[in-house]
Amino acid sequence: MATGFLTDTTVCIGCKACEVACKQWNQLPADGYEFTGDSYDNTKQLSGTTWRHVAFIENPKKKRLTGDIDLVALAEDVTEPLPNGAELDALGRWAFMSDVCKHCVAAPCQQACPTGSIIRNEFDNVYIQPDICNGCGYCVPACPYGVITQAPHDGRAFKCTLCYDRQVDGLEPACAKACPTNSIQFGDVEDLKVMAEERVQELHDKGYTQAYVWGTPEVGGTGGIDGNHSKFILMDEPETYNLPKHPYLPQEKVKGGVVAGAIAAGVLGAVVALAFRD
Amino acid sequence: MSDTTRQDLTQGNGHVTNGRPETSHHPETDPKREDKHYYGIPPIKHAHWTWQIPVYFWIGGIGAGTHLFSTVAQLLGHDDPALKRASRYTVLVTMILSPIMLIWDLGRPERFYNMMRILKLRSPMSTQSWSLLIFGNLGGLLAARQAAEDGLMGRNALSGLLIRLIPERLLSLLALPFGLFVGFNTGNLISATSVPIWARNWALMAPTFLASGLSTALSWLSLVLHLTRSGEPKTLRALHRAERATIVIEAGLIAASLVRMSRWGKPLFSKSVAPLFVGGALLSGIAAPAALLFSGKQTRGKSILSSLLVLAGGLAFRFALIKAGRISADDPEAYFTFASDRSAPQPEDKV
Repeated sequence: MATGFLTDTTVCIGCKACEVACKQWNQLPADGYEFTGDSYDNTKQLSGTTWRHVAFIENPKKKRLTGDIDLVALAEDVTEPLPNGAELDALGRWAFMSDVCKHCVAAPCQQACPTGSIIRNEFDNVYIQPDICNGCGYCVPACPYGVITQAPHDGRAFKCTLCYDRQVDGLEPACAKACPTNSIQFGDVEDLKVMAEERVQELHDKGYTQAYVWGTPEVGGTGGIDGNHSKFILMDEPETYNLPKHPYLPQEKVKGGVVAGAIAAGVLGAVVALAFRD
Repeated sequence: MSDTTRQDLTQGNGHVTNGRPETSHHPETDPKREDKHYYGIPPIKHAHWTWQIPVYFWIGGIGAGTHLFSTVAQLLGHDDPALKRASRYTVLVTMILSPIMLIWDLGRPERFYNMMRILKLRSPMSTQSWSLLIFGNLGGLLAARQAAEDGLMGRNALSGLLIRLIPERLLSLLALPFGLFVGFNTGNLISATSVPIWARNWALMAPTFLASGLSTALSWLSLVLHLTRSGEPKTLRALHRAERATIVIEAGLIAASLVRMSRWGKPLFSKSVAPLFVGGALLSGIAAPAALLFSGKQTRGKSILSSLLVLAGGLAFRFALIKAGRISADDPEAYFTFASDRSAPQPEDKV
């Protein structure tokens, strides 16, 4: 059985309980107090010490907040003209997305790993064996989603284990357990796929026709990656959430590169041989 | 935002420091932010590689090219003791330094031996480790025999035994494919990543690295032979001709790579990399030595100068590529344009 996540961004409230639960369960060190000034999200990105990251996509409306402001109307996003010529900025759209390792079907990090530290475990998750990793860092630029990262002061690469230890004991991963709105769902990937399709259909029926599933072989799991075990329901273009639309498997071209190198070796060998002719 | 309104900022009337409005990187408030991404945070992570990796690419290329030249000379029956000596010891030194550089770069250097845990043909890092191991050991055996022949181990029974037991011709021929692999696979090592500038050039990266490695190796041999005033005239003539041909091939491959990289090759011409790439690799590493190699009569001084230029240019080229890769990976726009349509390598693409 292959397990994975379905992260439904439409019900995410940005509480970051998943980030905290992940840090606590996996005993990950703090990343320091840094304020980006970009948004209320100060975690910024996934890293070797942050395996869940809630992105805050803050899109305010164009109109400026002026005049006498009715805060209730503001919160309810009322659009009719207000007394005294007050204009509404409203809250615009404030979207959240809890990002995590995509657990690719054909994982670039696993193919890049020269030590065999990165494996697929019995739950078909991409798992780093920390006792084998020697910190070569080659998996880091290989990842098409910027997930896997070397932890400073440790040297080795780390990322989401999909709570391997909890799964062994029959528990769901800490982030899915902590999620109060069930935005993060854990289960068999086949079940999750059906759930994702049903949810997108439901959203389409309600008029949110922009909803779609990211992490399929068509979107987000492309170019030889063959889809992801962590799927996401998104409401905007993938780039808005810092995700690529059509990533590719970097190792797809290793064979071609070796052939090209061998041809070059033959040509250069011949050039050297010709140079000896008087 | 206190006194400054958003309109002010979009019209450029905000607090301006260093020519840029003082704003957050907010998609709405920052007039420079119209493209789609998440506050400009890189969507992929760059490689951590510091100076050890480009230096390894450089010395590994010299080792591989040197072995190619000396083995071809040997196969053609051209026996020049000075050339043989120079190349055997060069291979030995480069193959001692290469693993030191690579292990130094590891996050957990004491676990370097885990590289030998498995062989993974899909991972250029794995195949590179194995080919280095094989090429390094064969090169070491050849250097040991050379040392015995040169009397560096004294005139004793051991030297005699080494000379008798190490089959020189067979070992150099056996080491050749592994040496060449070390030379070109460094190109595949960087192109098998998600970094746009490297991945885009997957078909030409390995040939470019091998050509550049060979040109630095030829220059190194020519430098050593000229400085020690050794080497037969025929060797020097062959070296000179090979240097000329290789530098032309290298220039052609770099030009073709730039065409292939197209818009994703921009980091090579950015402020921090252009001095290395244009000044170091192109002008002093290719144009200047090419002018020296193709002009008038060859003199010892000109050869030494062009060799030094090629060697420095080769090192600058490797640093430029690694630095450009970091800029490319840190640029959300580059990655998203690369990974949004069919610009990225596709499974059905062929050499």
